[in-house]
Amino acid sequence: MKKLQIAALAVLVVAIVSFCLLEAGTLSSLQSGLLGILSPITRSGGAVKKSISGIGKDLMTLEQLQKEYDRTLAENRRLRAENSGLRDLQSDNEHLRQVLGYRERSAFRLVPAAVLGHDAGAWWSTIKINRGSKDGIATDMPVITDRGLVGKTTAVSSDMSEVVLISDENCKVAAKVEGTKEQGISAGARDTAGELHLTFLSKLADLQPGQKVYTAGVSGGIFPSGLALGTVKSFHARELDGEAILEPTADLGDLEEVFVVTGAK
Amino acid sequence: MRQALLFTILLILLLVSVALQDLLPAIPIAQSRIQLLPIVFCFAMLALPLLPALYFALITALVQGLLVLQIQAGHSELGLTLPIVFFVSWAIVLQMSSEATHGMRWELHAAGCALVILTLLGGEFLVLCMKRGGFPLDVNIGLRILIPALVAPFIAPALYFGLRGLVPFTPDAGPVASQPSFNR
Repeated sequence: MKKLQIAALAVLVVAIVSFCLLEAGTLSSLQSGLLGILSPITRSGGAVKKSISGIGKDLMTLEQLQKEYDRTLAENRRLRAENSGLRDLQSDNEHLRQVLGYRERSAFRLVPAAVLGHDAGAWWSTIKINRGSKDGIATDMPVITDRGLVGKTTAVSSDMSEVVLISDENCKVAAKVEGTKEQGISAGARDTAGELHLTFLSKLADLQPGQKVYTAGVSGGIFPSGLALGTVKSFHARELDGEAILEPTADLGDLEEVFVVTGAK
Repeated sequence: MRQALLFTILLILLLVSVALQDLLPAIPIAQSRIQLLPIVFCFAMLALPLLPALYFALITALVQGLLVLQIQAGHSELGLTLPIVFFVSWAIVLQMSSEATHGMRWELHAAGCALVILTLLGGEFLVLCMKRGGFPLDVNIGLRILIPALVAPFIAPALYFGLRGLVPFTPDAGPVASQPSFNR
């Protein structure tokens, strides 16, 4: 019995040393494997959570339903009007693109995905979505909502993926400020949950609160240009550069449905 | 055989706790998150004998390490060494505490959970500060470390008594096997 325990202890020590020496590639594969193991539990839990949270949402009084109907009708009219305007803009845009010889860049192939859960870690901003390699998802694909950029995929299993949000310190996005020539790098911060820090701006940049910030789409980068990223909350000059604090355009704390950009159409 | 069954049940609970803690909403104060994995880990450290406990600590370290793994330019930011050292060290400390208090106690489990979470989050913060630079310690950061640790002792007893009900046998044990209830 004692010999068996010594052998088990030796195996444990060897296992510990082996795991400590693993390379990044192997760790990434192990992470995908763990996602695969967790996938059935997370997906079932996500479905239960959705059905529980949906109970209260689905119950409305007649008065609330009438209000909702009126609001939807008004929204529909507004969108129709906006759409007809956009159609003109689209034809103008296509014409200009043809003239200039640009490729169609704004049309993406999108894979819709439901958010299963937010990472419980204190220092990392990630979410898990119910789409994986089976659906054509790979690592480093942009993730968006109808309101703007959300993040990029990091670990992918067959039917679940992890997305690092733009509010994470490690998710750096090249960005440009609307109406200016200012460009910088946006990332989250450890000390501010949810806000983005746009750095490497000119110290003399004249940025005003409310100005919109879009992805710059640098060559060889992950994010295409023109995706809404955030709006300027404040700007201050630092010793060597200027820094703007941004409010993300997409509501990162309340994500339910997202789209993964798998490529251009 | 009994130990193997207990180990398997705890392993399943560990994976369930990981999935569940991601599904729980953030606490409104400082957007802190409830940590369930350390609660299951502490229970396992008190319920299992030393060798299985060390194996369980290794598995917990792998799960936690892979959960927070971020590959930057082909390199992992944290790797698995630090989580392994952290959880194996706590395994030894909790085993010794369990011996010192003559078996499992819910108070020990609750206190252990709070300390493990406090050191886990605090340690992660310090390591990130060393890796990424800067030391942005403020009230917000402090609350994000403290609140999960303060919440854990309130959740831990429910899990402790729930798990005890799920595992209603006394594991194979040595000198303290004659003690009543769930003592090791």
